[in-house]
Amino acid sequence: MRFLLKRMGFFVLTLWVALTLNFFLPRLMPGSPAEALMARFRGKVPLSSIKPLLAEFGVDDSQSLVSQYFDYLANMLTGNWGISTTSLGEPVSKMIREALPWTLGLVGVATILAFVLGTLIGVVAGWRRGGKLDSILPPVFVITSALPYFWIALLFILVFSVWTGGWLPSDNGYDNTLDPGWNGEYIGNVLQHAILPGATILVTSIGGWILTMRNNMITTLAEDYVRMGRAKGLPNRTIMIGYAARNAFLPNLSGFAMSLGYVISGAILVEYVFNYPGLGYLLYNATINVDYPLMQALFLLITVAVLVAVLVSDFATFWLDPRARTQG
Amino acid sequence: MRHKNVMALAVAVSLLTAACSSGSSDGGSTGHATDVVTIANVAGQTWSCQFNPFNPANNAQSLGTVYEPLVFVNTLKNAAETPMLASSYTWGADKKSVVFTIRDNVKWSDGKPMTAADVAFTFNLMKKHPALDLYALWTGNILDSVTAQGTTKVAMNFKVAAQPYFYDFADQVGIVPEHIWSTGDPASRPNTWADPNPIGTGPYVVNPCKAQNIQYTKNPSYWQAGLPKIGKVEYPAYTDNSPANLDLATGKAQWGSQFIPGIDKLYVAKDPANHHYWFPPVTNVALFPNLDPSHKATSNVAVRQALAYAIDKQQVSKIGESGYQPPASQTGVVTPTFQTYQDDAAAAQFNYPSATTKPDTAKATKLLAGAGFSPSHPLELTVITITGYTDWDASLGEIKQELAPLGVKLTVSDLAAQAFDDKLYKGDFDLAYYSELGGPTPYYELRQILHSKNSAPLGTVASSNYERYNNPAVDALFDQYAAADKATQVSIIKQIGGYMLKDVPIIPTTEQVDWYEYNTKNLTGWPTKDNPFAQPSAFNVPDIEQVLLHLRSK
Repeated sequence: MRFLLKRMGFFVLTLWVALTLNFFLPRLMPGSPAEALMARFRGKVPLSSIKPLLAEFGVDDSQSLVSQYFDYLANMLTGNWGISTTSLGEPVSKMIREALPWTLGLVGVATILAFVLGTLIGVVAGWRRGGKLDSILPPVFVITSALPYFWIALLFILVFSVWTGGWLPSDNGYDNTLDPGWNGEYIGNVLQHAILPGATILVTSIGGWILTMRNNMITTLAEDYVRMGRAKGLPNRTIMIGYAARNAFLPNLSGFAMSLGYVISGAILVEYVFNYPGLGYLLYNATINVDYPLMQALFLLITVAVLVAVLVSDFATFWLDPRARTQG
Repeated sequence: MRHKNVMALAVAVSLLTAACSSGSSDGGSTGHATDVVTIANVAGQTWSCQFNPFNPANNAQSLGTVYEPLVFVNTLKNAAETPMLASSYTWGADKKSVVFTIRDNVKWSDGKPMTAADVAFTFNLMKKHPALDLYALWTGNILDSVTAQGTTKVAMNFKVAAQPYFYDFADQVGIVPEHIWSTGDPASRPNTWADPNPIGTGPYVVNPCKAQNIQYTKNPSYWQAGLPKIGKVEYPAYTDNSPANLDLATGKAQWGSQFIPGIDKLYVAKDPANHHYWFPPVTNVALFPNLDPSHKATSNVAVRQALAYAIDKQQVSKIGESGYQPPASQTGVVTPTFQTYQDDAAAAQFNYPSATTKPDTAKATKLLAGAGFSPSHPLELTVITITGYTDWDASLGEIKQELAPLGVKLTVSDLAAQAFDDKLYKGDFDLAYYSELGGPTPYYELRQILHSKNSAPLGTVASSNYERYNNPAVDALFDQYAAADKATQVSIIKQIGGYMLKDVPIIPTTEQVDWYEYNTKNLTGWPTKDNPFAQPSAFNVPDIEQVLLHLRSK
C-alpha cells in the first residue's frame, strides 16, 4: 500500500513538471502564432488583420504569462483544449480525436506485434544459441532496425505497390471512395491500407526486442534453477517457457511499457511517406505553425501516455516479481 | 510445433489480404471513372471540413468551387476579366466609385435566388466584423460604402481612387447568402463559424467532406447552363509531396500543383502522350539585402550592384531550379507574363545578368574594390533561408560559388521556418532569400516589396518590405498608380523598374512559378501555355473555378 501511494505521488509530481515544461518550452521557441500565420498567407493578409483574427480564435497574448499559465493548467486538466490556429477554427479535441485511432491502431498494433514476435524469436534464439534460427534471424533483424525507416517504407512501396501494379495500396488510411463505418468492406479496406506501414514499423523495430530478449535468455539460462530443472528431468519446453523465459521477460516489460507510451507520439515518417492520417504529422504541423493549443494538447497526451505506461509497468513488475515485493 | 503455428498465421494473413483486396478499386489501376477529376495539391494537413470563405486557413477549399466572386481577373493575361456574378460594371470618373450590374438568373445552391442585396450584405458583413476584412478594404480606409440599388445593381463608394484594389474586392471576395449569414451562429460569430455545408452560387457543392478527402458534386442550380461538365471533383488531403507525386505518376490523380523533382523521368515518362506540365512565372525569388544603415556593407548601393552584376542567373536557374524557373530581371518585372510592363531599353542600359546576359565580373570587382572589398580583403555575408527548401539551398550554393572568386564569402544559414520568419520580419539578417506573393500586374508585388508603408523599424515586424527600402519618390509613384489610366500605369511601373535598376533594393534571381501538372488521358480543357485562361495551380483561388468550368471528359 505504501508502495502504491508513493508511486502515485511520484506520478502526480512528474506530471506537473512535464506540464509546466510543456507550457514554457514552446513559448521559448522563436516565432509566434501571428508570424506563422503571416508566413502562411504570404503577405496576402496584412498584419493588421491577423492579430484580430487570432484574438477571435482565443490566442491572446495581452494577458501576463503567469495568468496564462494557470489558465493553461486548468484547461488542460478539464479537457478544454481550445482551438487550433493551424486550421483556424477546428477544436483541438476534435482534431486529436480523429487522428488518435489511426495512430493507436497502426503504431500500437505494430509495436505490440513487434514485441510479441521479437520476444518469441528471442526466446527460441537464446535457448538454441548457435543454432540455425539464432544464426539467421537476429542478425537480419538487427540490420533492418539500423536501416532508415523511410528508406524501408519507400522500398516496400516500390516492391509491393508500384511493381505489382497496386496489389497493396501505397497511401492513405482507407480508400477515399468509401464511407467510414462499422462494415466489413470499410474495415477490410483499413486493414489492407495498414499492411505496408505496419510491416515497415515491424521490420524496423523488431530487432531491438529480439536482441534484448535473447541476451536476457542467455543470462537466465546460466542460473542454477535452470540446471536444477534439467537435472530433475523436466521437458525442455517447460524449462524454456516456464522458468527461463518468465524470468528473462521482466526487464523487457518496462521497455515495452515505455514504447507503448511513445506510440501516441505517432510515427511522423510513417505518416509522411504513407500519407497516413495520424498524430505524428499533427504534431509536426503544430510546431511549424507555432500552434500553441494543438502543441500543448499533444504534449499533454504524450506525457500522460508515457507516465501512465511507466506506472502500469511498475505495478506489473511489482505484481509479477516477488523479489520486488519484498523490498516493499 | 512452432513452425506450424507460424505457418498457420502466415496463411491466415494472406487469406485475409486476398479477401480484402478483392473488394476495393484502389491503387495503381488507371481505369477509373471518366467524369471525375482528382486534384493532387499538397495542403500539408488533413481537412478540417470548414468552408468559411472569410477564414484564410480554409477558404482555398471553397472560393471558386462553392462561392463565386463578382469578376474573375486573370493574372496570366494582363488582368483580363471574365464577368462572373456581375455581368458588367462602370467606374465613376475619378475611380472613386463603381456600380456593378448583378446577374438576375443566379440561384443559391439551396434554390433561393441571388440578388444585389446579397452582394451588399457580404461587404457590409466585412465592415461589421473587422476580422473578416482580410484585404483591409474597410479597416484600410479604402471602402466608404456599399449599397444595393434595386435587385440588380450594387454601388461601391471609395475614399481613394480604387482601381488597384479591384482585384481584392471583385476577384478575391466570395459572395455569401444573406438568408444564411444573417441568422444564428453565422450572424453572431461569422469569423469563427465553421460553415460545414456551404451554400454558394458556384458550380459545385461539398458532398461530402471527410478528413481524408473532399468530394465536390455538381450544383444542380448553377447559373451557367450545361456547366460544369465534370460531375465530381475529388480533393484528397496530402500531408507530403511523395504520395501526391506517386498518385500523379500512376494517373490516380490528374491535376498536380506541386514541385516534382526530375519531372521528366518521374512523371512525363510514365505516360508521355498524356502527362504534361507547365510552369508559368508569376513573382520573383530574390535576395533581400538589409538596407538599414546599421548594416554597413548591404546598405552600400555599390555593394548591392556588385552582387547583382556577379550572379549568373542562368546557372542558378539551371542548377538550383533544374531549369523550371526562368532567370529573373533586375527590374523586378516578371516576364513573359508581364512583358508589357518591362522596359527592355532601360534594362539593357544597365545590363545586369538575365536570361540573355552573362554576369559582368569585371564590373562587380571594380564596384567591390570601390567599397573596399577584394579577394585579399573579403566581404563576409550571411544569407538566411528556410530549411527544407532544397531548390533554394541549391540556388544559394551556386550563388556562393559564383561570388567566392570575387572576394565575397557567403555563408548560407538554414533556419527552421518559424526562426526564419522571425528574423525576416524583424530585419535580423544580412541577406535573406525569399519570394513574395504577387497579383495581376507587377504593381502588387513591387508595392509589397518597395513601399515604405509596408516596412517597420528593425526589431519590429514588417508586413512585406523586409529589406527596409525607403524612397519617397518611389512611394509617390505607387500612390499615383491608383488614379492613373492604363497607359500611365504601365509608364509608372517602368519608372519603378528604373529605381530597381539604380538602387538595387532587392536582387531577383529566378522567377517563382505556379507548379502545374495535368493529365490529358481522359480530360481535356486544361489551361496551357497557348491558352492561359487562368492561373493553373489548384491552390489559386478563384482561378480553380475557371479551370473546372473548362474541363470536360474526352
